[in-house]
Amino acid sequence: MNDSEKLVALKELLLSEDREFALKILQKLESVETTLNEESLLSEKVNPIVDKKLDTFADEIPSKLGPTITEALKVQIRDSQDQVVEALFPIIGKMIKKYIQQEMKNLSESINSQVQSTFSVKKWKRKFKSIFTGVSEEKIILSEMAKPKVDQVFIIEKGSGLLIANVSKEEDNIDKDMIAGMLTAIKSFVEDAFAKEEQSLELIQYEFYNIYIQNLASYYVAAVISGSFNSDFKEQLEDKILDFASKHKKEKLVEDSKTTNKLIESLFND
Amino acid sequence: MINSKKIVLVGHFGVGKTSLIRRFVNNIFTEDYKVTIGVHIFKKEIEVNNTKLTFVIWDLEGKDDVEKVRKSHLIGTSGFIYVFDPTRNTTYNNIDVEVDYLKSNYPKAQLLTIANKVDLIDQKAFRQEVNFPIDFFTSAKTSENVEAIFNQLGLNFLTNG
Repeated sequence: MNDSEKLVALKELLLSEDREFALKILQKLESVETTLNEESLLSEKVNPIVDKKLDTFADEIPSKLGPTITEALKVQIRDSQDQVVEALFPIIGKMIKKYIQQEMKNLSESINSQVQSTFSVKKWKRKFKSIFTGVSEEKIILSEMAKPKVDQVFIIEKGSGLLIANVSKEEDNIDKDMIAGMLTAIKSFVEDAFAKEEQSLELIQYEFYNIYIQNLASYYVAAVISGSFNSDFKEQLEDKILDFASKHKKEKLVEDSKTTNKLIESLFND
Repeated sequence: MINSKKIVLVGHFGVGKTSLIRRFVNNIFTEDYKVTIGVHIFKKEIEVNNTKLTFVIWDLEGKDDVEKVRKSHLIGTSGFIYVFDPTRNTTYNNIDVEVDYLKSNYPKAQLLTIANKVDLIDQKAFRQEVNFPIDFFTSAKTSENVEAIFNQLGLNFLTNG
């Protein structure tokens, strides 16, 4: 073995491990390079990470971005009111228009069905009324549709607020005893707070309803009225209640609530 | 014939009137204190000696003097429940005068005096300490004697008409 051969053998001995290591690194680098360059291989690795991140981000949007978005919207609306109105007006306008159209259609159908009911006695009454008064049939129907009517009547003992009798046109789950108590408490509060001589609470308005209260000696009558409550109707109701009160004393009403309920049904009649 | 009775709870602020009613009517108790403003109305039907009674219970806002309570809230009451807190002497220092006021102005009404929050005191020691009659020691928290108050009132109504 000459010197150069010896050197080669020595190099082989000393560097073989390093060479193997370098080769492995080279192979790994090639593999990484292939993964990076091949879209399908890269997406296989990266997609699950991106998906997970996106899921977390979507979950955190309300808490992390919510306040920022709200604030940004507030500022945007405040600073560009005209543009916002311009953008929203057509949408809201269309919605309102559609709603009104639908309601008008319902009203028109309802009027038509009433006008066309040939055999109805009411129809002939209305026709005569229209001829004599000069008011069109449609207008008479419209006024009939908004006619006030008594939906519920409470007879409540004064002071204690205990319910003596109650009649309702429709079944509901509201506790009548508690309504009687609460009405009495409200009534006494208003009367105490604004007491001027002998005045009492007469009417409570509640959106589409009016609660008319008629005070009598030992009890009061509360009538829940739907439709347009007017002074004519009030007078008629007042007369009916006073007539009822003159005929029936509290003691009698308390004795048998079923009979009392039948008696107050007369208040529902037109 | 209606068998409804108006029950009114009176007493100072924070003695536990609302808690007593909520325990009796809904069987619930909460530690958080919400002051009653004006009046709340509750209802419960009970049966005493095979007779059904409907209690319409008026939970009035606390007043340190019963004379300050709106008269219209007291008229027509069949039974008063005067509630005080034995851990605060200001709520019972004047109890004799307050009870006398109710008895003289509403002579037909039944009246019970209630020491609430009994879970916080030594009942025997408290009885020795004070010299006014106490009908029930109750706790809305543990529900001790809560039903007993209303049953007693029911019995009193049946006995005294």
